Amino acid sequence: MGRIALTGTASLLGGRLLRRLAETKGPDRLLVVDVAPPPAALAVRHRAVDLTAPAADQRLLDVLREEQVESVLHFAFFTSPRRDTVHTHELESIGTLAVLAAAAAAGVGRVVMRSFTAVYGARGQNPAFLTEDRPLQPDPATAWARDKLEAEQHAASFSRRYPDLKVAVLRFAPLIGPGVHTFYTRILDRRVVPLLMGYDPLVQMLHPDDALGAAEAAVDRPVAGPFNVVPLRPIPLLTALHLAGKIPLPVPHPLAYPAVDLMWAAGVGEAPGRFCDYVRFPFVADGERARRELGFSARHASRDALLAYIGYRHPQARARAAEAPA
Amino acid sequence: MSSRPKVVLLRPATRGEPQRDAAPEATPRREGLLVALARALEAGRHGLGWENVADLWSAAYFSWHSEDVDEFGRDARFIETIRPLLEFLYTVWWRVEPAGVENVPAEGPALVVANHSGVLPWDGVMITLALRHEHPARRECRMLVLDMFALLPFLAPTLARSGAVRASQENGERLLRQGELVGVFPEGVKGVGKRYRDRYKLARFGRGGFVRLALRTSAPIVPCAVVGAEEIHPVLAKADWVGRPFGLPYFPITPSFPLLGPLGVVPLPTKWSIDFSDPIPTAGYGPEAAEDPILVNRLSEQVRSVIQRMIDGRLARRRSVWFG
Repeated sequence: MGRIALTGTASLLGGRLLRRLAETKGPDRLLVVDVAPPPAALAVRHRAVDLTAPAADQRLLDVLREEQVESVLHFAFFTSPRRDTVHTHELESIGTLAVLAAAAAAGVGRVVMRSFTAVYGARGQNPAFLTEDRPLQPDPATAWARDKLEAEQHAASFSRRYPDLKVAVLRFAPLIGPGVHTFYTRILDRRVVPLLMGYDPLVQMLHPDDALGAAEAAVDRPVAGPFNVVPLRPIPLLTALHLAGKIPLPVPHPLAYPAVDLMWAAGVGEAPGRFCDYVRFPFVADGERARRELGFSARHASRDALLAYIGYRHPQARARAAEAPA
Repeated sequence: MSSRPKVVLLRPATRGEPQRDAAPEATPRREGLLVALARALEAGRHGLGWENVADLWSAAYFSWHSEDVDEFGRDARFIETIRPLLEFLYTVWWRVEPAGVENVPAEGPALVVANHSGVLPWDGVMITLALRHEHPARRECRMLVLDMFALLPFLAPTLARSGAVRASQENGERLLRQGELVGVFPEGVKGVGKRYRDRYKLARFGRGGFVRLALRTSAPIVPCAVVGAEEIHPVLAKADWVGRPFGLPYFPITPSFPLLGPLGVVPLPTKWSIDFSDPIPTAGYGPEAAEDPILVNRLSEQVRSVIQRMIDGRLARRRSVWFG
């Protein structure tokens, strides 16, 4: 039986998946392909491959062949927007190309790739539930979404050209929950949280346990194509902020976009101005296909994920909430 | 025929009984607003902290919003909060007189198709109320609203919380497949923003999207005619160039708006009637009939003429705009 190779094990989801698979499949069947070595306690094989290096696909191909890899779990993506857009592009778009090319050449049976529901793009015209056949239309000016979109396009193109290569793309809703540290949670950690005046879209918050469950289900099933991985029920943004005990600060949107851009340029912001779209319009996805073909359905609603995060990050706030009669 | 003002008393809507497929009925309030205020004041003796402000704000928010909504954003407690205002408009302000409510099926999916008028989507709110209060099965009608309302700041979240859904084939189909009662205005912008001189003349019914929706889900179509809403904001002229920078498809000029400023959004107290006609079954055609443009157009015209006939009948009997 061949090995399972993982990339992006330094990310929350990749790291947790590595630990879980080490328990269920045994460390011998795993191989970490990453620049950083995995924790020594896991006793998992590690081969250093830099996906941003010029000949990454050749190097990866050699590794996949030598280690007799049968499936690749590709989790090397950044959840938070970064200022170094060149490196991000090299890793996410070109790196995915290298992973897919090497996997196809090495005869690897399947690839599971991490993606984001945000790649659909937040638009006023979105239906209440985005299904997988909806075209991906993120804001073309956002480098963050453009790189993810390109990675998705590479995956679709390789599935078409190599019918033997089963590429499953998991589009995770934004993760909120214990252990999550992203730009979403950094914004949520503030006492006063700005939001757009007059807008209150439904948002999805996915508990990391559910995300892990979906990733595990995808490892074992020979499915291909995109799958939305979403929580049970979305929650209005304003309701979420009040549940978390935040003070919402409504900002008129013509002011918010340039202000956020200015803060991003000044080095104090968490995201470029275009990200305001994600708190202005909905990008709620439908999990029906994952339920049908992956056998995965979430156990937590967005609200549970949020409360779990608040309990993890701000235990004293949780205690105050518990004080109040239920 | 005597035209006496008639006040219709409402039967109480379902209380506590959770709607099918709705969010878990409003979670019990965590604590009252007054309790939170007292807590904040108590804590404030040692200096008011951020936590107290956040708590107070949160208590105020959850005293009229639920902590949980359904998958389309319908908020049971918010509906309960705005209920007195809407019932005032229904019984006192517009004295809505519904007829043929029992033509709406008591269960299962159905598509209520109505004429659109009145600048703001008050007609949708009143149709919802008529069905919620006067229908034997207390049916909850989910209105599909125009993009321009569903995307407008402030109005959009309010509509979503009160159970309206942005009009699109996907959303309508999902609701109908869940067995919900769905309301649509096929005239769209052309209907709601029409000038006073064009009142009660039905505009084109889109491209028959509502018929395709009904055919695909085998939902019967219930034609519905609203009379009285055309006069609540008589649009004398349109200055669309004013609204364009704000993302509005039209900018109405009425006798009171924008002349009287915010007062201009107060609708005139006309007398309303809402008629529901016999349902038109669509199950016999089969879902593949949705791809037949000739049939779709024929059904669309049929529904349009039924509604126009109901409107004309009402108008012929109507003596006064204010008293019916």
